[in-house]
Amino acid sequence: MRQPDLEVIERVLAGETAAFELLVRQYQQEIYRLAYRMTRNAEDAKDLAQEAFVAAYRSLGSFRGQSRFSTWLYRIAMNLCLNHLKSATRQDPSEVDGTLADLRADSLTALLTDERDRALAEAIEALPPQQKATLTLRVHQGLSHKEIAEVLDCSEGTAKANYFHAVRALQRRLQAFREAE
Amino acid sequence: MGEGVSGGATEQGNRGEGEILGGSVSGCEVVRQRLIAHHEGELATEERLQVEAHLATCEDCTREAGLIRDALGRVLALPVPEPPAGFWEDFGATVRRRIAAEHPPRPAPWARVAAWLSQALRQRRIPALAAATALGLLLVIGLVRTHRAPRDLPPVEALMISEDLAIGQNLEVLENLDVLEDVEVLERLDLLRHLDRGRRPRLS
Repeated sequence: MRQPDLEVIERVLAGETAAFELLVRQYQQEIYRLAYRMTRNAEDAKDLAQEAFVAAYRSLGSFRGQSRFSTWLYRIAMNLCLNHLKSATRQDPSEVDGTLADLRADSLTALLTDERDRALAEAIEALPPQQKATLTLRVHQGLSHKEIAEVLDCSEGTAKANYFHAVRALQRRLQAFREAE
Repeated sequence: MGEGVSGGATEQGNRGEGEILGGSVSGCEVVRQRLIAHHEGELATEERLQVEAHLATCEDCTREAGLIRDALGRVLALPVPEPPAGFWEDFGATVRRRIAAEHPPRPAPWARVAAWLSQALRQRRIPALAAATALGLLLVIGLVRTHRAPRDLPPVEALMISEDLAIGQNLEVLENLDVLEDVEVLERLDLLRHLDRGRRPRLS
């Protein structure tokens, strides 16, 4: 039976540092997938996910259990992803073009046989980072708007607005696709 | 700027969240603001029924609702490419190697003091009222600190604000100071005092 996260954290803070691996194993896939959905790059996602666990380990003493550990971990991971995206957009335009070309040919695109799915995936990539983050946390992690606000350090109203705009953007993309058919 | 959203933002125009016109949801514009919430089952019963009543008679809004359903369904189904064989073993090994190079995490200093106070209270080595006051102050500090982004916290100066906390007058407490030997706040720790300053603590 899986030990509750708080108990594992207490063990780690009491000196049983090897117990942290239980948390890594529990959340590694989720955090990796979250990072992948934000970056669409497997290598970046792996680096960011690993960094998230290391950052969580460093800050473990500050986790007070007032939210779920997963929410706290998502916050760390999402901050890393958003910073990564921010630094990527500051790159030289020619490098950005290269990155965009990679996205079009990336492993996700190769999996999508339906043109509408490809169109949607591109539309998600074009979303502002905060909207993409909100969409990812809501749709894939199943977080409430309140939890999303906690993760992204914004108001609940802002979280809802970002989600609304993200969904509407995808809806318009689908509509345009249908009209073009 | 985009339209408003069901959830607090004011849409363009004069209608706020949840405003029902003339006692019933009317107008495609109002309904479309609620389609996402409707899809996610977040509308109150009355509002949901009114949206559904509108959808039953409005092809345009029904088409919009269908697009939202389709879009969100496809997003949910978007896969994450499966990593290659050995990926997770390598992932775990890298994390293990990196955290082995880190200092072991410790509870925040205020949390360690709180834990000590709780233990001391259970063992009745300090007066209950003084301990409760200290714990209350530490809880406030903890709540304030928790709102910060997770990062290494600066040394807690919690007891700077707790002039009424005193430890040294209780000899048994002093004997247990080794429990706090690595607590950074120890240097700033004032002695626990009784709130009733005229009474000396009993040594149990």
